[in-house]
Amino acid sequence: MTLTRPHARAIVAAAIVLLTFDLLVFAAGESPWIALSRGLAGSLGTAYGVGQVLYKATSLAIAGAAFSVAYRAGLFNVGLEGQLSLAALASGVVGARLGWAPWWLALPLAVAAAVAVGGAWAAIAAWLRVAFGAHEVITTILLNRLADALIPLALAHGLGDGGVRTGDVAHAATIPRLSTLTHALAGSAASLAVVLAVLTPALLDRWERRSIAGRELGLVGPSPDACRAAGVPVARRLFAALTLSGALAGLTACGVVLGYKGHYELGMTAGTGFAGIAVGLLGRGRPLGLLAAALLVGALQQAGLVLNASVPKEATDVLFGVVILAVAIAGRREEAR
Amino acid sequence: MRIDARRLTKRYGGLVALDDVSVELAPGKITAVLGENGAGKSTLLKLLGGLEPATSGEVVLDGRARERWTLADARDAGVFVVHQHFSLVPSFTGLQNLMLGDEPVGPLGALRPRPLRDRAERTMREAGLGVDLGARVSAMSLGERQRLEILRVLVRGATTLLFDEPTATQTRGEASRLYAMMRRLADGGATVTVVTHHLDEVVAHADAVVVLRRGRRAFAGGVRDKTIDELARLALGDAPSAVTPPPLDHDAPIALELDALRGRRVDVPSLRVRRGEIVGVAGVDGNGQDELVELISGLSTALGGRVLLDGASLDGLDVAARRAAGLGTVFADRHRFGVVMGATVHDNLMLGELGGDEAARARARLLASGASPARPELPIEAFSGGNQQKIVLARALDRRLVALVVAQPTRGIDAAAAADVRRRLARAATDGSAILLLSSDLDELRQLSHRLIVLHRGRVVAELAPDVDEAALGRAMLGASAA
Repeated sequence: MTLTRPHARAIVAAAIVLLTFDLLVFAAGESPWIALSRGLAGSLGTAYGVGQVLYKATSLAIAGAAFSVAYRAGLFNVGLEGQLSLAALASGVVGARLGWAPWWLALPLAVAAAVAVGGAWAAIAAWLRVAFGAHEVITTILLNRLADALIPLALAHGLGDGGVRTGDVAHAATIPRLSTLTHALAGSAASLAVVLAVLTPALLDRWERRSIAGRELGLVGPSPDACRAAGVPVARRLFAALTLSGALAGLTACGVVLGYKGHYELGMTAGTGFAGIAVGLLGRGRPLGLLAAALLVGALQQAGLVLNASVPKEATDVLFGVVILAVAIAGRREEAR
Repeated sequence: MRIDARRLTKRYGGLVALDDVSVELAPGKITAVLGENGAGKSTLLKLLGGLEPATSGEVVLDGRARERWTLADARDAGVFVVHQHFSLVPSFTGLQNLMLGDEPVGPLGALRPRPLRDRAERTMREAGLGVDLGARVSAMSLGERQRLEILRVLVRGATTLLFDEPTATQTRGEASRLYAMMRRLADGGATVTVVTHHLDEVVAHADAVVVLRRGRRAFAGGVRDKTIDELARLALGDAPSAVTPPPLDHDAPIALELDALRGRRVDVPSLRVRRGEIVGVAGVDGNGQDELVELISGLSTALGGRVLLDGASLDGLDVAARRAAGLGTVFADRHRFGVVMGATVHDNLMLGELGGDEAARARARLLASGASPARPELPIEAFSGGNQQKIVLARALDRRLVALVVAQPTRGIDAAAAADVRRRLARAATDGSAILLLSSDLDELRQLSHRLIVLHRGRVVAELAPDVDEAALGRAMLGASAA
């Protein structure tokens, strides 16, 4: 069958995406060709657009890596969303109180706050899983809701400026924008956090291949019973995987709060965690796969923003879903038994 | 229908599972496919049944070569594989399982089981299959489940039946009944093929035999064209010699002791195994054997009592700590507790002991295991079940153990490999390990053990000498002497 050949599947998948795009844009009363060229121009056609794509891809790549490390151990972390938003709050709160510190102290402290809070929030679900067998999908969803409720409460009572945001992060605790390096990216939100986006998946991959704990994660995932019977500390590995996943979700928050906005405000990271799950699944946990998936999703999001005036956001969301399905179909590996 | 394999070859990555094999399966006959683990028996069956595509070669039906041979093509042609592991829904009745995936519906989409039931009952009469269609599968014996599985393919129009090791977990009596049923099918014109590594079954029941050895055809012809010894040599190489346990030193120190050990389903007041002693544990499957192994290994926690290794209590130690103290464990359920599917042979050999000089240790274990090919980078799925078992054993037997608890070490592996495993166990005893051997193979228990204990409903109901007669052992296993 032709459909079983990889390149044939890729062509079919691309055709499905284009067709869906055409239909959606037609339905919105636009010409697909014009919309396509405007979307491309706005995302990849200008230096500013590229900068925006890089900014979005930075968060997505790290969030994708966060999802992947738990997934490797057989855990499905739906809680990236809550871990991310609490970590973003923490980096904003801590960052705003670091006016006294030099940059080499302020920046690590703000990042550490985000990573610690993200990890701690995930550790709750990890503990419930290891100690009571409570499924992490359920507990992380509940913890997402809890985070949604806790954040406005905290902002209103002491941690924020009394409204919906924290104070401004001290300049010393911010991550420099890329626009300070090249004038072409002026106004773009991309920051040096992009380095983290490249390094995180690569370092994580290295850890998963080389270290004992990392390799055992990949064995615990498919067969926890065999691992337990062989004396692998399964509970400890599961706990570490989910906690590390949350900590990386915390790292994701830094690009947004410390690299772009300079403060945290309510709802600022909404959707990044869920998009990170898609990136993690598309990228199959491999470093280059995660980067490619992050760039793809980032470009789609940016193009969607550009077209927002003429094509409703819901339409680009539908397209986003279709793209994920199409990539999943095209990338399916041959069943080798 | 006559079905021929013409020059079939199957490669998995770099591994050649089947190499240029041609066979001819004639209707009205029982053809046995004989060979040791990894000889390519199951692969041949999968290719003939359309479950996997061949790398090269073709399937020929009644003289017509079929270019495409998928599962759907095979079913259309009435060719069905009857698997060793049944695919039945336990909570459904026999009839519901027959309907599943092929539901007979009347107008308005209502289920109409009546015609199917009539057809099934006719088929049962013709083939001599007894299945209670109204009973739930969960209440059926293994033999009845197997008959239901066969009935299902017959009802769907099977004229060629390919059995994958149907007698692997059966007693001799059950196997004979199964072969009698196959004979009726063959007499009715069906093409019957059986994969097995039991030579005695082949000689007693088959008309023709195909011998595979390392993926190649070693022989094909009538069963009576060769003597039993010749067939054995073709399939296995030289006959394996019987293994005996090393002489027992009655003054050797106690290495493994169970002291009032109690779990949910087992209760062992006292059991002492000396260094160099092999104690066989007999019992019908499901009488607490699995939990006993889990309790000793530290995988589950005892409700009471202690396990002592060299006189020291293992209380509160986890699996890894018990292993470090000199305890080796091999679990009966290889798929669940033995191997990690999806991982490499290397990772499976080193599971729980990653780090250090891994490459060299893995290589040494692989060589000692006798599993082939000796390529640690291959995925474990590329190995046959018997070779996987050898890898699991190699992991436990790698070092000098104080005590070894091993369950079903030779289940599902061929005679040569089994003899090899028994030799390794005997050698471990010679080296001073205390061995607790749980097995449903009574010959193995009697051959290897210094003494036998019998588990019935979680309790030790008898202690017997290994040369006890089989009837007395059987009575004890059924709990007769418990009263």
